[in-house]
Amino acid sequence: MSKLREKLESGKFVVTGEIGPPKGANIDVCLHDAEILRDYTTAINVTDLQSAVLRIGSLAVSSKLVERHLEPIYQLTCRDRNRLALQSDLLSAWALGIENVLCLTGDHPIMGDHTEAKPVYDFDSVQLLKAASTLNQGHDVSGHELDSSPGFFLGAVVTPGAEPLEPQIIKMKKKIEAGAKFFQTQAIYEPDKFESFIKQVERFNVPVIAGIVILKSAAMARFMNDNVAGITVPENIIGEMSETPKEDRKKKAVEITARIIRQVRPLCQGVHIMPLGWDELVPDIIKESEAQ
Amino acid sequence: MHATIQKPIDEIIGYLEPGEKVFIVGCDNCAAKCHSGGEPETEEMAERLKKKGVNVVGWCVPQPKGISLCKLSNTKKVLQEEYGEETKQADSFLILACGQGIHTVMDATDGEMVHPGCDTIFGGETVTDDFITEFCSLCGDCIVEDTGGLCPVTLCAKSLLNGPCGGAKDGKCEVDRTRDCGWQLIYDRLKALGKLDKMEKYVPPKNNSRWSRPRSLTMAGKEATFRSLAGDCTISRQD
Repeated sequence: MSKLREKLESGKFVVTGEIGPPKGANIDVCLHDAEILRDYTTAINVTDLQSAVLRIGSLAVSSKLVERHLEPIYQLTCRDRNRLALQSDLLSAWALGIENVLCLTGDHPIMGDHTEAKPVYDFDSVQLLKAASTLNQGHDVSGHELDSSPGFFLGAVVTPGAEPLEPQIIKMKKKIEAGAKFFQTQAIYEPDKFESFIKQVERFNVPVIAGIVILKSAAMARFMNDNVAGITVPENIIGEMSETPKEDRKKKAVEITARIIRQVRPLCQGVHIMPLGWDELVPDIIKESEAQ
Repeated sequence: MHATIQKPIDEIIGYLEPGEKVFIVGCDNCAAKCHSGGEPETEEMAERLKKKGVNVVGWCVPQPKGISLCKLSNTKKVLQEEYGEETKQADSFLILACGQGIHTVMDATDGEMVHPGCDTIFGGETVTDDFITEFCSLCGDCIVEDTGGLCPVTLCAKSLLNGPCGGAKDGKCEVDRTRDCGWQLIYDRLKALGKLDKMEKYVPPKNNSRWSRPRSLTMAGKEATFRSLAGDCTISRQD
């Protein structure tokens, strides 16, 4: 059984990590990143053509994690697959030993490196969750019986910093009704705002895992503030980063990240660390934040 | 209406064989509204092509005023009778109208050679005399009852049916920050109408077989039948 499910269902705090499959045919680097996360995470997200950039698929890398006795959270987006492909990939995932699935809409192709690609979106994320739940119940979305059924542990995402927040919360409720058993969030840098979000969704009684993106520089913070929906890095954190000499930035990143984790920890049931290449900092972050 | 925009003139000239005799046909409905194939633009195209050495044997925008080129019976009468002399000389027809109009000219001329003079870009609302924009994708399976009349298939870049993705910033879409997020518009409208509860309802996946192509509509008395890969759908206006 999925350790992630076991821990979340028994009310334990979890740490999840994330790896991004590479743009190329060699997966050694991302498997190495996964090894760094082994002792510090319960499960590892494997992104699905993140930012709509062509890469190795999340299904293949998730399967490689299973082979290595690491637990993947297989990310599946609606961008590139119609309902036949989505359901087939889900059944394939189950056959490969993958239990946790994070159901996402997916970045639009225009954001990536194949801008002329046909966006599919035959389903949206709510419909995908419902489809996966239907498979769990032994049927496909057309109502045909399966000869055996999977038992996925389904997750979804939410953006606590969205403005307005209400449409996100309405959609979150629909995702829960469609079968989402846990949520991972967009990156959190403002624990106060996150707390007010949590107060609004407590009534749903579903585990929320706070997204934590390791901040690498002040420039990265400004870029996210200007370009990424739902992320606001406060000025004081940007200041801390910009005052830090380049050689000490990794140390500072550990300090800031661990502090945010300590602040959000009492509010939620886990943290999802997105290292964006600074995977080697994760052990120190976990130790310093006492998240484990 | 079907929005169209003229193709670049050099692309059009590239379609023509040396010495090919061309008759130009516009449309007094949609293409006229788009300034791509009304009377002024069709006459202008004839002059532009002549200046570039093209052998234009005539042009017309079938009348009466405001009629669509895609009304076959009218277009046939105009091309074969009113302009019969010129069209008989033509090796081909250049159509300044939508793709439906191109096919109508094929039918109206009993299968003569046609060239597209426009790209057909979308079905839209003529908001002002110089601005047309898209609110409907012609999917054949309308769901705007639950979205306050605003179509998420069209207004959301990802055609999401159950609410916004996380990509909107300041109410603008992640694919184009100058464009409103379709779900922000739907949310604002439902909220203003006091019908936000509609947004909480699960919307099932679309029946894409009603969006199959080509589709047809047949009218008979008080009945209309829509044919698509979803099967024949007959609606009666009896009750």
